[in-house]
Amino acid sequence: MPDGLFIFFAALTLGAALLLVLSRNAVTSAMGMILALVGVAADFFLLDAYFLGVLQVLVYAGAVMVLFLFIIMLLDTEDPTGAYPWKTAALGLATFFLLAAGVLWLFHWSGAVAAVKAGATPPELSTNPAEFTTAAKSFGRLLYTKYLLPLEIAGFLLLVALVGVVSLSKDNPESNA
Amino acid sequence: MENTSLAHHLILAGLLFVLGLTGVLLRRNLLVVYMCLELMLAAATLALVAFSRFNRTMDGAVLVFFVITVAAAEVAVGLALIVALFRKRGTVQSDALTSLRD
Amino acid sequence: MPSDLSSLVHWILFLPLGAAALSALFLRRAGALAAWFSTAVAFVIAGLALRLLLSVGGNVTSATGDVTWHVELAKFGGVSLGFGYLIDANARLMLFVVSFVAAWIHLFSVGYMKDDPARGRFFAGLSIFMFSILGIVVADNLLMTFVYWELVGFSSYMLIAHYFDKDFAAAASKKAFITNRVGDLGFILGIAMCLSLYGTVDFAALKDHAAAAKTIPVAVGALLMCGFLGKSAQFPLHVWLTDAMAGPTPVSALIHAATMVAAGVYFMARVSFLLAPEVLHFIAISGAGMAALAGLCALAQTDIKKSLAYSTLAHLGIMGCALGLGHPELALMHMAMHAFFKATLFLGAGSVIHGCHHEQDMLKMGGLLKKMPLTAATFVAATLSNCAVPFLAGWYSKDAIIEAAYHGDHVAIFAFLALAALATCLYSGRMIRLVFLGEANSEEASHAHESPWTMTLPLVVLGLVYSVAGGFLAHAIIPAGSLKPVEHALGEVSFHLAAPSTIVGLLSLVVGFFGALKFYGSVRGADALQVVSPRTYHLLEHRWMDGLYRWYVDAVQRRVAEFIAFLDLLIINGVAVRWIGGGVPAVLGYLSGRSFHRGQTRAYAFWIVLGSLFLAWFLIAR
Repeated sequence: MPDGLFIFFAALTLGAALLLVLSRNAVTSAMGMILALVGVAADFFLLDAYFLGVLQVLVYAGAVMVLFLFIIMLLDTEDPTGAYPWKTAALGLATFFLLAAGVLWLFHWSGAVAAVKAGATPPELSTNPAEFTTAAKSFGRLLYTKYLLPLEIAGFLLLVALVGVVSLSKDNPESNA
Repeated sequence: MENTSLAHHLILAGLLFVLGLTGVLLRRNLLVVYMCLELMLAAATLALVAFSRFNRTMDGAVLVFFVITVAAAEVAVGLALIVALFRKRGTVQSDALTSLRD
Repeated sequence: MPSDLSSLVHWILFLPLGAAALSALFLRRAGALAAWFSTAVAFVIAGLALRLLLSVGGNVTSATGDVTWHVELAKFGGVSLGFGYLIDANARLMLFVVSFVAAWIHLFSVGYMKDDPARGRFFAGLSIFMFSILGIVVADNLLMTFVYWELVGFSSYMLIAHYFDKDFAAAASKKAFITNRVGDLGFILGIAMCLSLYGTVDFAALKDHAAAAKTIPVAVGALLMCGFLGKSAQFPLHVWLTDAMAGPTPVSALIHAATMVAAGVYFMARVSFLLAPEVLHFIAISGAGMAALAGLCALAQTDIKKSLAYSTLAHLGIMGCALGLGHPELALMHMAMHAFFKATLFLGAGSVIHGCHHEQDMLKMGGLLKKMPLTAATFVAATLSNCAVPFLAGWYSKDAIIEAAYHGDHVAIFAFLALAALATCLYSGRMIRLVFLGEANSEEASHAHESPWTMTLPLVVLGLVYSVAGGFLAHAIIPAGSLKPVEHALGEVSFHLAAPSTIVGLLSLVVGFFGALKFYGSVRGADALQVVSPRTYHLLEHRWMDGLYRWYVDAVQRRVAEFIAFLDLLIINGVAVRWIGGGVPAVLGYLSGRSFHRGQTRAYAFWIVLGSLFLAWFLIAR
């Protein structure tokens, strides 16, 4: 049996994700999304990636989801009325189970992962900055040496996105016609 | 962390991914579809971190950093698009957006 | 100081490119600024070229005084392709002639194009042309020459089509471009042949190979000659030059008289060591023949620019003839002299056209001597130079070529050249008589006015200084080293009073020039030859080669094309494309059109997922 914490957070993540997919109310979906992201962040912690876990909570569960909620409130989309579309939901669940079976086969039953990494536990943490460490410093080191160019490009991408959003949200009278 | 192997994390990531995928396929509300897309991305990052941890390299973790950056940018643009769409068409239900066929 | 001189060449070459980029990118709307900017750059280049020309005296860098500079751009197997300069004596002369003439033509254009709304584009075109032509001059290998060659073709195309909203200009630019393509095909095949035979495209290396080999394959020279035939408008690819006059007059002066068409002559001189005797023989015969024929055809043109274009053809023929006779130095010297006086003639024509409110028909001009004295004086001076009046610029080179022909093996070449000399005097006299003497024959001509200083100053400088004193100046300002080949050639065929060329020249001058003056004064408002002998006139006016090409395209090429198109329609289109491309999607589309193309985002997402799953399966199962 795996670690108890892992089981708890995995269940939390999957349950929240299920809520996200199945709920008819967009706000409820967003709440499920936040929970699921927190669950993923918790799993990051379990994998000793503390920095990424914190980043995940701050950026995703924090900023991004707030943005989502804002838009949901702003657009104020009407909740669908009428009976819950059980048929669609059932179809979806069937699809899900089919694909999930595929995932389980790929990662578990096929034995492919076990054949490569048989260990039941992750290897010991190292203090060598080139290897996996828990220190945020090792991120910085890599970002400004090996991944300097991608970092610059990511920064530029953010700028482009910024400009794009500004031009998209400008109220253009011609395009509204 | 005694008994969680790489496979456990991968299965969790895979299930999350598939769940997000199902949502993308089934949901009509574009906002929810978008959230499901983000969920798929998060699942991918989970797999990356797991691989990174088990292979004792930092590269996967750094890649996650970039994924989060790109996702943030993507969310901003995507939501702006959805808002623009809403202003033009008055709806965010994908059923109503069939002008590609018509 | 080789590095110093090669950096000078950097400036000469890349200044116009920068000017072109600046004009084209930022000064499209600011026409006046672009005009003066381009002109200033052109004068700077002329100064730099003069500096390079004079640099020979003191600082002889290598044994031969050549400036070389080379960087390797790429290496494919054993073949090295590079970018570099090879500035020998010919290149110095050519650089100076091109940049000097171009600078004054730029200044002329400032006045001539004053009211043109697209001045920015025009001057950007002139600058890119400068870059390309100077590139041809300095390039040290065949491939870079070809690149610049094409750039020259492009800028010529662009400038001929300056008035692109006029059908004839658009058609003329296309004609020039396509005709040049025909020649360039031969050119690039020639380069390929050089590569396969000698494994290099560098002029210096090729020269060594050619010196080592006993005989040069005829095909190499013949193929390289094709490029020359196209660019220098030699028979049978001469048809585009007269149509190219549809461009603005400064363009005709710069590109289609003084420099670009001469680039072919320059190029032939540069690769003269690759030309087999058979090739030279062909060039000599066809050049001499064309010189005579084009000179006569100039008699049957009423458009002043077209008449001058035929004159240019004649002179290009003479240059080609000199090349073929084995005197590339003489050809280059004639090119330089011709550049000066023909540029003056064209600019004078431009001034006349400008003064007569864009009237180009010579029959409608007349009596302009009094109304446009400066233009008339320079035009007449250049014309006399054109007729090779002794001690004027044209005399030095043209008579030397005739002399060389006399000493050559073929009587026919000499006879053709003598006929060409006579024809030159005939059409020159006709032009002077019709345009400047007599009475004004139209409303426009009677209201003619002298042009502004920006137009007359270049005329005066180019015309009086160079056409008249060109020969003396050639000795005076060009130091001994750089003009050595020319002097050598002059010494070799030293002409004296009793020489046949002088007799031919003077005879044709007296008979032709004054005869024409008298003959064309006899009928007013019409062409005397047309009145006297319409049949002869028509014979000369009719464009036989155009007719031949039209017949070829209509009767031969189109038939073949139609047959190929039929095959294409039947086999490729019908069987291969329609059956597979039409049948398969039709079946699949019928089956799945409803499920694929529903216009719903979710449906598309579904197919994407299915596709990626399939791909993943494929990759894993592999």
